[in-house]
Amino acid sequence: MSKSYKFIDHTADIAVELTGSSLDELFIAGAEAWLVTVVGEIVNEQDDLIDLELSSASKEELLVTFLNELNYLLTTKKWLCLAVHSIKIFDDIDGCELSAELKGTKLKGDLPLKQEIKSVTYHQLEIIAKEGNYSTLVVFDI
Amino acid sequence: MHIGGIELVKVRENLWEIPATGQMRVTGRIYISQDMIEKGLKDDEALKQVVNVAHLPGIEKYSLAMPDIHWGYGFPIGGVAATNLNDGVISPGGVGYDINCGVRIATTNLEHERVKNRIDGLISKLFNAVPTGVGASGAIIKLSTADLKKVLTKGSIWALENDLGSASDIDFTEESGTLKNADTEVVSKRAFERGADQVGTLGSGNHFLEVDVVEEIYDAKVADVFGLFLGQIVIQIHTGSRGLGYQVCDDYLKVLLQASNKYGFKLPDKQLACAPINSQEGQDYLAAMQAAANFAWNNRQVIMHLAKKVFQDTFSMSESELGFHLLYDVCHNIAKIEKHKIGKEEKEVCVHRKGATRAFPPGSKMIPAKYQGVGQPILIPGDMGRYSYILVGTDKAMEETFGSSCHGAGRNLSRTKAMKSAKGRDLVGELKQKGIVIQAKGYKTIAEEMSDAYKDVSDVVDVMHKEGITRKVAKIRPVGVIKG
Repeated sequence: MSKSYKFIDHTADIAVELTGSSLDELFIAGAEAWLVTVVGEIVNEQDDLIDLELSSASKEELLVTFLNELNYLLTTKKWLCLAVHSIKIFDDIDGCELSAELKGTKLKGDLPLKQEIKSVTYHQLEIIAKEGNYSTLVVFDI
Repeated sequence: MHIGGIELVKVRENLWEIPATGQMRVTGRIYISQDMIEKGLKDDEALKQVVNVAHLPGIEKYSLAMPDIHWGYGFPIGGVAATNLNDGVISPGGVGYDINCGVRIATTNLEHERVKNRIDGLISKLFNAVPTGVGASGAIIKLSTADLKKVLTKGSIWALENDLGSASDIDFTEESGTLKNADTEVVSKRAFERGADQVGTLGSGNHFLEVDVVEEIYDAKVADVFGLFLGQIVIQIHTGSRGLGYQVCDDYLKVLLQASNKYGFKLPDKQLACAPINSQEGQDYLAAMQAAANFAWNNRQVIMHLAKKVFQDTFSMSESELGFHLLYDVCHNIAKIEKHKIGKEEKEVCVHRKGATRAFPPGSKMIPAKYQGVGQPILIPGDMGRYSYILVGTDKAMEETFGSSCHGAGRNLSRTKAMKSAKGRDLVGELKQKGIVIQAKGYKTIAEEMSDAYKDVSDVVDVMHKEGITRKVAKIRPVGVIKG
């Protein structure tokens, strides 16, 4: 198994279980879950590229920052991230850093979205490493 | 009784306590009926969150929850907590992502019986006039940063200055539509970017604009003061600070997570990230939150103005013929510095209301002069297929809940379960049968927001009424709804 996401029934918002065989794969699973939430299906028009660098105090905060960055690009720049490439995550006691290449497309007019995500929350967010796999629950406040 | 390992002790018919144990600084108090506990609280983390909030440094009296309690981020929804200004903290978890999400109701001279055949046309025009839905931009052109700064500092007054409201609208808005210590310098560039083209937008999800009819009056004297009569058409608007507010919350959760470490707070939940109110971080969050709150008041003001114009156009009436007046505007996600009695003395505290509404009593100088004889109106939206309520504040609310009450119904079903339940049904037809016209951006919204997905707001309102925290004034039911 490399990465996966699974939506969990949640009364008010959207909860998703992410798994990955590495932190990098976990983050990609998060990006895919985010994309499916906001547009409903994976669309393959990747005609633009953004290089991204982020840092945070912990890997959990980094995941929230990363997914919120995708939201920011969409809601303010009308840029939809369709795939994450060349992602590298460094995690040590001084903090966490991420670099990635985002492939996507610039949208025109009003955004054709299925769901607005207000923000990615820290609720029950704890990245657990076990037997070579990483997993966490992420909740999107909608 | 015990729920999820937490002891609940019955104090009164609809009031329960969680005794302070371990690191809890105060007792927890929940206003709720036994029936609601049995039906909704047993599998909900909300009680744990009431316990967590009781850990906050400087918390006074109780960690409170109103009967619409359900789990949220940090605080439970329906959570109220006041912290002192000396060594108390402020937390975005006690406000929410949608800063100053709130409700306003405007009254008219229209009687439903006389206009019921024109509701279809009215709703259609409202749907075209008010930007709704995901990604929709505002009826107001995208504002420059300079103009947006004015919105963030002036709140509803910006709308007034731009011919999108009247002085009376300002008088009948909580805090007169402006929190005066807002500081745009502590609002991020990202928040400005997210808010620039969202002025006058309704949003999506559970935000709405409704045309309602006054169906029942419980307190004729107060209803008269509020300008309500049976069969009257009123307009209800529910929305908040949109992307700008969400970004402010997100920005400051990051800042206050670091601040929590800096000040040595051991938090049971990251979403309770906080800082001392009198610290730089605390003051910056308070000022940024106030700016976002002002954005939300301005937003509801602009939307109401757009709605008023549609009403005038649809019914070919002048403003005075229509008699369109703002009854009141309340916020239900906010933190405010207020004076309350703690023990024998009155002191200033920071009251967090997360999915809770201010409910000030008769005599309060903080409510419009017209209402000081009866108390503050409290507006409690239900769901689009049933009813909403107008309540009034009491002295008991000031004594027991820092002048706070419930805010709405709360969901019963997840969106997935609601969609499943809606399969094969003609929800628009079902609403039509009830005399309700709906226009929404998509069927998905209608399915996710249908009545079955929500608890019965009557249960919530009845608890507050029986405990004397608020009194019921009127029930209104929808006849037309627009949703994003």
